[in-house]
Amino acid sequence: MSARDPEKSPPPHVDRKTRAVVTVDATDLPRFAPHTHPLWWGIAGAVAIEAAVVATLLTSYFYLAAQNPHWPPEGVDPPPLLWPTLVLFVLPMSSATMWWAGRGSDAGRKRQLAIGVTASVALACLALAFRSVQLTELDVRWDAHAYGSILWVVTGFHFTHVVSAVLGTAAVAVLAWRGYFTPERQLGVVVDTLYWYFVAAVYLPIYLVLYWAPRLL
Amino acid sequence: MSRATLDLRGREDEASREELEQIERVWRSPPGFLGWFTHVNHTNIGRRFIVTSLVFFLLSGVLGLLMRWQLSGPLNDFLDPDTYNRIMTVHGTAMMFLFAIPAMEGVAIYIAPLMIGARDMAFPRLNAFGYYVYLIGGTIFFLSLPLGLAPAAGWFSYVPLSGPEFARDYGVDIWTTMITFIEVSALTAAVELIVTILKLRAPGMSLNRMPIFVWAILVTAFMIIFAMPSVIVASSLLMMDRLIDTQFFNVDAGGSALLWQHLFWFFGHPEVYIILLPALGIVSAVIVTFTQRPLFGYTALVLALVGVGMVSFGLWVHHMYTTGLPLLGRTFFMAASAMIAIPSGVQIYCWIVTLWGARIRWATPMLWVLGFFAIFVLGGLTGVMVASVPFDRQVHDTYFVVAHFHYVLVGGAVFPLMAGLYYWFPKITGRMMSERLGRWSFALTFVGFNLTFFPMHQLGLIGMPRRVWTYLPERGWDWLNMLVTFGAFILAAGFALTAINAIRSALRGEAAGDNPWNAPTLEWATASPPLNCNFARQPAVEDDHPIWSWEDTGQRAVVGGLSTTRRETLVTTLLDARPQSVQVLPGPTPWPFVTAVITSVAFLGLIFSPWFFVIGVFSAFAGFVLWFWPRRPYREE
Amino acid sequence: MILAACDGSQSALDPGGPDAHAIALLSQWMFAAGAFVFVVTVGMLLVAVSLGRTGARQLSFRRSAIVVLIGGVAAPIVAIVAVAASGALIGDETEGAQGPEGPEIVVAGRMWWWEFRYLDDDGEVIAVTANELHLPVGERARLRLVSDNVIHSFWAPNLQGKTDLIPGVENVLFFQPDAPGTWRAQCAEFCGLQHGLMGGLVIAEPRAEYDAWLAGQAADAAVTEGPGFDAFMDLGCGECHTIRGTAAAGEAGPDLTHLASRRTLAAATLPNTPGNLGGWITDTHSVKPGAKMPASVPKPERLHALIRFLGALE
Repeated sequence: MSARDPEKSPPPHVDRKTRAVVTVDATDLPRFAPHTHPLWWGIAGAVAIEAAVVATLLTSYFYLAAQNPHWPPEGVDPPPLLWPTLVLFVLPMSSATMWWAGRGSDAGRKRQLAIGVTASVALACLALAFRSVQLTELDVRWDAHAYGSILWVVTGFHFTHVVSAVLGTAAVAVLAWRGYFTPERQLGVVVDTLYWYFVAAVYLPIYLVLYWAPRLL
Repeated sequence: MSRATLDLRGREDEASREELEQIERVWRSPPGFLGWFTHVNHTNIGRRFIVTSLVFFLLSGVLGLLMRWQLSGPLNDFLDPDTYNRIMTVHGTAMMFLFAIPAMEGVAIYIAPLMIGARDMAFPRLNAFGYYVYLIGGTIFFLSLPLGLAPAAGWFSYVPLSGPEFARDYGVDIWTTMITFIEVSALTAAVELIVTILKLRAPGMSLNRMPIFVWAILVTAFMIIFAMPSVIVASSLLMMDRLIDTQFFNVDAGGSALLWQHLFWFFGHPEVYIILLPALGIVSAVIVTFTQRPLFGYTALVLALVGVGMVSFGLWVHHMYTTGLPLLGRTFFMAASAMIAIPSGVQIYCWIVTLWGARIRWATPMLWVLGFFAIFVLGGLTGVMVASVPFDRQVHDTYFVVAHFHYVLVGGAVFPLMAGLYYWFPKITGRMMSERLGRWSFALTFVGFNLTFFPMHQLGLIGMPRRVWTYLPERGWDWLNMLVTFGAFILAAGFALTAINAIRSALRGEAAGDNPWNAPTLEWATASPPLNCNFARQPAVEDDHPIWSWEDTGQRAVVGGLSTTRRETLVTTLLDARPQSVQVLPGPTPWPFVTAVITSVAFLGLIFSPWFFVIGVFSAFAGFVLWFWPRRPYREE
Repeated sequence: MILAACDGSQSALDPGGPDAHAIALLSQWMFAAGAFVFVVTVGMLLVAVSLGRTGARQLSFRRSAIVVLIGGVAAPIVAIVAVAASGALIGDETEGAQGPEGPEIVVAGRMWWWEFRYLDDDGEVIAVTANELHLPVGERARLRLVSDNVIHSFWAPNLQGKTDLIPGVENVLFFQPDAPGTWRAQCAEFCGLQHGLMGGLVIAEPRAEYDAWLAGQAADAAVTEGPGFDAFMDLGCGECHTIRGTAAAGEAGPDLTHLASRRTLAAATLPNTPGNLGGWITDTHSVKPGAKMPASVPKPERLHALIRFLGALE
């Protein structure tokens, strides 16, 4: 932080009675700071919003359950566990490959980054496939009963978020394969991985509420 | 009000003149009609939010006048019940969603970055996107009235009345869609305000040196993030009940009518404090400047703001006291609702003590602040009354409540907003507003407001419910209603005077100079209107009233080393604002507008077909890719 | 206006029963306390801002802190405790079943009128009527509030706070009139087009008269045939309205078996006179735009017979 000669800096745009003294020199401050960049905080904010939405949906699930003497309603079974549980394993795996990709990006290993994000996209697509199969096997439609409605809507909500994470990461993957990212210039990677972790992690409470709560409570 | 020429203030130093020219060029918002759609500077966007919200305020106020005309006498047939119900719904919805929040957002977007010494906000393009979404959504919502498509289920849209069985036309769908627009706009602004305030403050502006206004905005932004999701879920569930036959609110199929109320009011109550807190921040700013004193109790004021923010999330059931919930539960909410009197009271008394014995500059902003005190305190007191379960069971859904919320919202939010308008108008436009018109406007508004809304307390107690399009002559409500209507026109005249004042002053007002009020905060440390880059050199601060201490020491600290050929602003650490990095900001671009149009088309299409959801996701994605795709030259080149 | 006699007041400030009494008393205390706080606060403000005219003065830190603590913390705490305690006590009183047990009545909110179903001790329906609620003086009647359409709210401010009628939920409200009287009720939850004119009457009478009234309501219609009744059925009125003892058994609209015993028409909008009845039948939507009842315009002779018939249904 060198003090520059105030006579050489443009005088402040306020009254000429005060003189300007440079006390902070930003010349050598980094213009790339992917791990502390404001956009990281922005995505964290978006994650907070989405988490609040999920919390509201899950609370609504329990509220509706409390209003109904039978939950699931008579004649409807809780959804089968196989496909959701498979997704419960696939999504964390995709987070692991994303983390591995991020490490590669930090270290400048462009190939590791590109392979990692591609693997995550592939695993997420697999999860989407499982989810699609699961939806066809659901016992109740969204328009039959509030139980069906909340089940389909929460599932659909998470599905849409996985799709958005896949689309965003696919864009990142394209740039990664073209070698665009460097350890400095990797803001896109950092924020994308943050969002990915959220989409994968939020599946756990959803899984527990939708698939285990009706069985246990 | 774009700066066509640079005001170089007679600079002698040629080299720095060149630098200033260069940096102003880099930060310039392109002129012209097409250029308008590419602006991203927070001053441009903030101004747009403010102007648009005030236009919606005036339109919505006219709707209020129409309602009052209808209610001026019993069994009036100026408006039939259907038209009245639609006007009533649009009035309430527009005031809450299209005026109050965006106006506060607009002031925050304009002033907060200046007050913290930044050059712009953290995500300028997102800012612009949020504005266009608001503009489009709000315009469509108002257009629904003349097109006969307006909602008619009240601003709070209770089910089953707003459900597919009882609200057959598109009105409620327009309502849910508009909510979606506004929530996107508000949430993007909230995230951006938080990040800007936490990361882009001037070096040395640690959290305990931040102006109270900025604290108010910060708390408000957090509240938006945690409250809005509830109404997002509510409006989406309603939209789905209407569009794809889900059964969330259908009691015959496992749904619950009360679920809507819980979800709506969990948002709805914090919402009114989201509207109030920025206004309280404005009051703090005005009091400091017009007494030329620091505020008493900075820490108490900050804690009070945070306290209001947090407590406000635990009150929502007081809107549901008559729904038959167990008395024990309601008693909890009764105590919590009364508790908000503590942080509110602390702020009121901190201000009174600050004002005590000060040499006050009695300009128009200070008059509006006085009006705020009288009206807001009265509204707050009726608020403590309606917190009581038994009392509320009599006055709930009557004109008493209408009186209460207009007192706290108009007194607590609109009066300070007017104060802020008169206070910051010189900064935004470079011209002073007329004091004479300002005083008349204040007087008419204050008198008109009380004539309009005070009698409503009595009307509620003697039996007049809310949301009625007319009433019987035998009730004995005639005279009071006539008085209310008369007052409403005086109130309207008061606001009209400010509108006229603003327009005339913008065109021909007296030149303001940088700091006409001798205020201490950083927004006054630049030209009026601000330079394109806000600050030729970003300031560094050493205490909480920077301009006053610069005057005392004759010297100011600035940041050097930022580029003059691209847009840069300093990033500092969260707690004590030490320099950390430099953020390179985007310049003018049309992609926020394009993406906003795409998303708007998707939201609107949802009224007609669920497939627009899919179309919307993919086209919005395309828009965002075009927005963010890196373009040469890359940063290092 | 003849109405002053048969029309009652609709005001929380004119209590006719212990519940409304308790709330009115609470209100008076709250208004007094509120006025006091307002005067003190705004008074201090005015003093504060006028002191600076003659030279600036400032309160010491200690004094300032005391003012803030008293005004902003201590006084609100007193208010909170007072509100919470009084609210809980009076809440219990006004929502509880104490007092001599009175009749049990199901109140159904319809669009846009009130249906009252009087139950006997076994919970069987004795009588069905609309828009006019009779209650015995001094007894605590138990109203069961239901709705099968949208949310309404039954509010007779002279007697009680309001409670909502919510589909899927049954709420309970207690009414205990102190003395004979007539008061008005009105729907207090926005329920659509005719929310504004969805009123009712609450009439309290001594037990003996109440019993007589109820017996009358429980009986079948006084007149069950004739040209008026024929007109009634020909015009399709029986599709929506019930007249017990005849073939008219519709349930979409109010039970008309004892229409002539009621003081008002159209959810307490019009006094029950032959002229108003004629106007209501032939020009329904001038009185209540959007009402679900279609207007009927029979030939004058048939209309006269119809009105005479309906006027005989005591």
